[in-house]
Amino acid sequence: MPSSNPLPPKENALFKRILKCYEHKQYKNGLKFAKQILSNPKYMEHGETLAMKGLTLNCLGRKEEAYEYVKRGLRNDLRSHVCWHVYGLLQRSDKKYDEGIKCYRNALKWEKDNIQILRDLSLLQIHLRDLEGYRDTRYQLFRLRPTQRASWIGFAMSYHLIGDYEGALKILEDFRKTQADIPSSYDYEHSEVLLYQNMVIQESGALKEAVAHLEKYQEQILDKLSILETLGTLYLNLQRFDRAESVYSELIKRNPENTLYYIKFLEVKQSSDEDECVDTFEYFQKQFPRAHAPKRLALNYATGDRFRKLVDAYLRKGLHKGVPPLFVDLRSLYKVQSKADTIQDLVLSYVEQLKKSGHFSQADADAGESKEPACALLWTYYFLAQHYDFLENPEKAIFYIDAAIDHTPTLIELFVCKGRIFKHAGDAIEAFKYLDEAQGLDTADRYINSKCAKYMLRANLIDEAEETCEKFTREGVTAMENLNEMQCMWFQTECALAYQRLHRWGDALKKCHEIDRHFSEIIDDQFDFHTYCMRKMTLRSYIGLLRLEDVLRAHPFYFKAARCAIEVYLHLFENPLKDLTAEEELNTENLSPSELKKLRNKQRKARRKAELEQQEKAERAEKHQNKRPPGEEPDAPQQDELIPDKLARVEDPLEQAIKFLKPLQDLASKNIETHLMAFEIYYRKGKLLLMLQSIKRAFNLEPNNCELHTCLVRFVELVSSKLDTLEAPVADVIKQAMEPITRGRSAKQMNEDFLKENSNNLAALIQGARMMYALDQSRQEEAIKLATTLEKVQGINIKNCSRVLQALQAGDFGSCSQHLEEYKKRCHKIMIYATLFRPPPPPVLTEIGSSDNTSLEIPVPEISN
Amino acid sequence: MNIRCARPEDLMNMQHCNLLCLPENYQMKYYFYHGLSWPQLSYVAEDQKGEIVGYVLAKMEEDSEDNPHGHITSLAVKRSHRRLGLAQKLMDQASYAMVECFKAKYVSLHVRISNRPALHLYTNTLKFEISEIEPKYYADGEDAYAMKRDLSSFAAQVSEVKVPSPDKIPCISKLEIVD
Repeated sequence: MPSSNPLPPKENALFKRILKCYEHKQYKNGLKFAKQILSNPKYMEHGETLAMKGLTLNCLGRKEEAYEYVKRGLRNDLRSHVCWHVYGLLQRSDKKYDEGIKCYRNALKWEKDNIQILRDLSLLQIHLRDLEGYRDTRYQLFRLRPTQRASWIGFAMSYHLIGDYEGALKILEDFRKTQADIPSSYDYEHSEVLLYQNMVIQESGALKEAVAHLEKYQEQILDKLSILETLGTLYLNLQRFDRAESVYSELIKRNPENTLYYIKFLEVKQSSDEDECVDTFEYFQKQFPRAHAPKRLALNYATGDRFRKLVDAYLRKGLHKGVPPLFVDLRSLYKVQSKADTIQDLVLSYVEQLKKSGHFSQADADAGESKEPACALLWTYYFLAQHYDFLENPEKAIFYIDAAIDHTPTLIELFVCKGRIFKHAGDAIEAFKYLDEAQGLDTADRYINSKCAKYMLRANLIDEAEETCEKFTREGVTAMENLNEMQCMWFQTECALAYQRLHRWGDALKKCHEIDRHFSEIIDDQFDFHTYCMRKMTLRSYIGLLRLEDVLRAHPFYFKAARCAIEVYLHLFENPLKDLTAEEELNTENLSPSELKKLRNKQRKARRKAELEQQEKAERAEKHQNKRPPGEEPDAPQQDELIPDKLARVEDPLEQAIKFLKPLQDLASKNIETHLMAFEIYYRKGKLLLMLQSIKRAFNLEPNNCELHTCLVRFVELVSSKLDTLEAPVADVIKQAMEPITRGRSAKQMNEDFLKENSNNLAALIQGARMMYALDQSRQEEAIKLATTLEKVQGINIKNCSRVLQALQAGDFGSCSQHLEEYKKRCHKIMIYATLFRPPPPPVLTEIGSSDNTSLEIPVPEISN
Repeated sequence: MNIRCARPEDLMNMQHCNLLCLPENYQMKYYFYHGLSWPQLSYVAEDQKGEIVGYVLAKMEEDSEDNPHGHITSLAVKRSHRRLGLAQKLMDQASYAMVECFKAKYVSLHVRISNRPALHLYTNTLKFEISEIEPKYYADGEDAYAMKRDLSSFAAQVSEVKVPSPDKIPCISKLEIVD
């Protein structure tokens, strides 16, 4: 429908020029022409011109004005598809996709066959995964433009995505027929379409047809690797083993380092016998002598003497050549105890013989073989250090790494290794010092630099870590900011965890939110690819992208950030921050004058740094504004700034925690931690049915999980205390659902049973003991005794013992400072390197264990410059 | 270590590996751009846990239809996994795919003139040759060597290799182990 207010020819020509300017990103000119129309009193309120002026302003980064003009234009011309379309585009650029769709639909009411609006609508629909809507729109586009390639492809894809394979395949086949006169030699796009067609055939379950299709068109497909990989899988699924075998042989020839090809080859051969598998790998070793994979894979299958012989040769080769990753390469074999023993046996014998004669074995020496290079002994020491570190034996690990460092004092890998040993042994400070030393030996290597920064963060040295990273970040911005811009999530996660340990809750939350925003941004990044991939015809990858984006937050980076955020929000719910000034006063009350001075200094420094950053930011924003070439679109709409203090003082911490939890429930439901965290949140919200849901999900994954046990006990106890006030249907649901778990037992009985069943498992004893005290405070002594057992139980390690210490400190067992000190002393004897249990230095400065503290107390190290 | 063609779900982990190892970093969108434009060209090396320990991010130069050639945007192997020959194996796979899917004649890359280890790898192991010096190529003002590697040897291999025809009898149905 034409505008309700058509312009006369001269103005109409101007209007068309505005549109052209918009398309060509000449926004300033566009505004000039708009002004020419709007300055005519007759057309001052011309709707479409006002709307276009608004859209143009938006492109110049003037969002508020843009909304003003677009809305005003629309009000003046509610029946114009242009005004509605423009409003939709504006909403889209503001990421209000739902609103955008509504606007496009209104636009289409007045102009139902407008191609551009339909295209824009289809983009938002696929972006929001409104698959039915997408299919309808793609149908319209196909109907209107049946000659265009993109119309066919989009139409077919919309059927594919909705799971209507038959529909999709029919469209694709019809399309292929229209393309009959394909040049037979080289056409990448045609090749990709054929492979996409094959993907749809496979997904429809028609495996035989998929094979036939590939065999028929393989000459026209350029991506031979995809043909081979697909055929291999298909032949295997169809049990056509002879063909599968020749395909996998060919694949191995192409890439002898692909371990999956070998695994599939074994599947094809249906060899269950270990020796037969090893034979196969030896065959391929002879075929491809330079390939690493068959040599290594043979070790996974070989056993007994054959394993010993093979691993002996493998180790010697690596130690002779000096392959630093030799241990990490073999580490996965340690799952089998006998293999770990064999390796230890062999490598210890190398050391002995190397020291004696310079050979790996007496036999070599007797045979008069030439001596190994001097560094063979070094690499053998290095291997043993990692070996013992992996077996949690820090004394021996340190012994061998020191021997290695004595041998060659300048090898970076050795210092990294020594740092790692201390990290595993519980001394983060000593660990970072070695990494710092390594870093000093090669300042041009970013990998070492990154590792050093990571170790600093583990030692809670955030400023030092940032300073270290700065050596590799862009000049002119802080490292923090540059790393955020580059979506450097490992750094941000480690930062968040360090802040959490330092009780800087707001800062921790800021980092978690930054990571969450990266995920949102990456999901938004799809937008441009919806059009791009249709043009490039890389449809298989595009489908891969869509499927990936749907589950993006399943990535471990998100899990770690979300877990940190949830823990912090739970803490803030239980211990809300007092208002700012009061808190400062409170904190300073107990400080000595010198400490007070230190604190004031620190605060002043922090303020100055914040001001500086603010200033830098403002300057940069300005520069950015000016630097942007005319016509380039402004960056994505500015998001609210994340202010640590505000984040930490949020009114509804549990609701915030739920926001981080939701994606985990959808995407990380196989991880029991998800449901345990969910329980903690809903427990504090008093939501019985949601607690029940979390418990059931966790129970289905791992019924004997120790942490889950505490949820069960608390839940049963809570329900029984509330029984009188519960509505009958709710009580019934809970009772019924819990019956298979409780089997009629009370919380107390369940806990007694749990303790009995797990009497030699420290990780379980901690939780059982905590619950014992929670249920009956008169059993304090008994509970503490159980939790602090350090004899005849499994799982005496830093992780479990620090968990006990944390519980003692947090008041899970009431007041028990005596026990606490004693426990630390006893742990220290077993784990001498762990700083956590180390006795405090003679002048005791800080008191440990304020009772409202639920998180792990790690002393904040003082660093003298 | 396993070497295979990269998939969309690898791209985030490639970015992670890049941020750990190299000073030149890119936002995710740029990785997606590679993965969605030339899905055959990027490769990853992963350890037994499936963690990415090395990668090559590669593309075709778009403005050279009559003389098609590939370009290595980024190549990294974690220091903890050096001396396994991963870089070479990654590069060879990517180069092969450039020839097979896009008829590339050669592949190019840039390297910091101060980066001796990388220069050594490209020159000695991978047979790249310096084609010119690009002044101030890097953001911090450092010059780059522009390097090239001729891919005609790959072209010969590609023309040899065929998908095994369905009728061909598999060559190694019986394994013969010679001691």
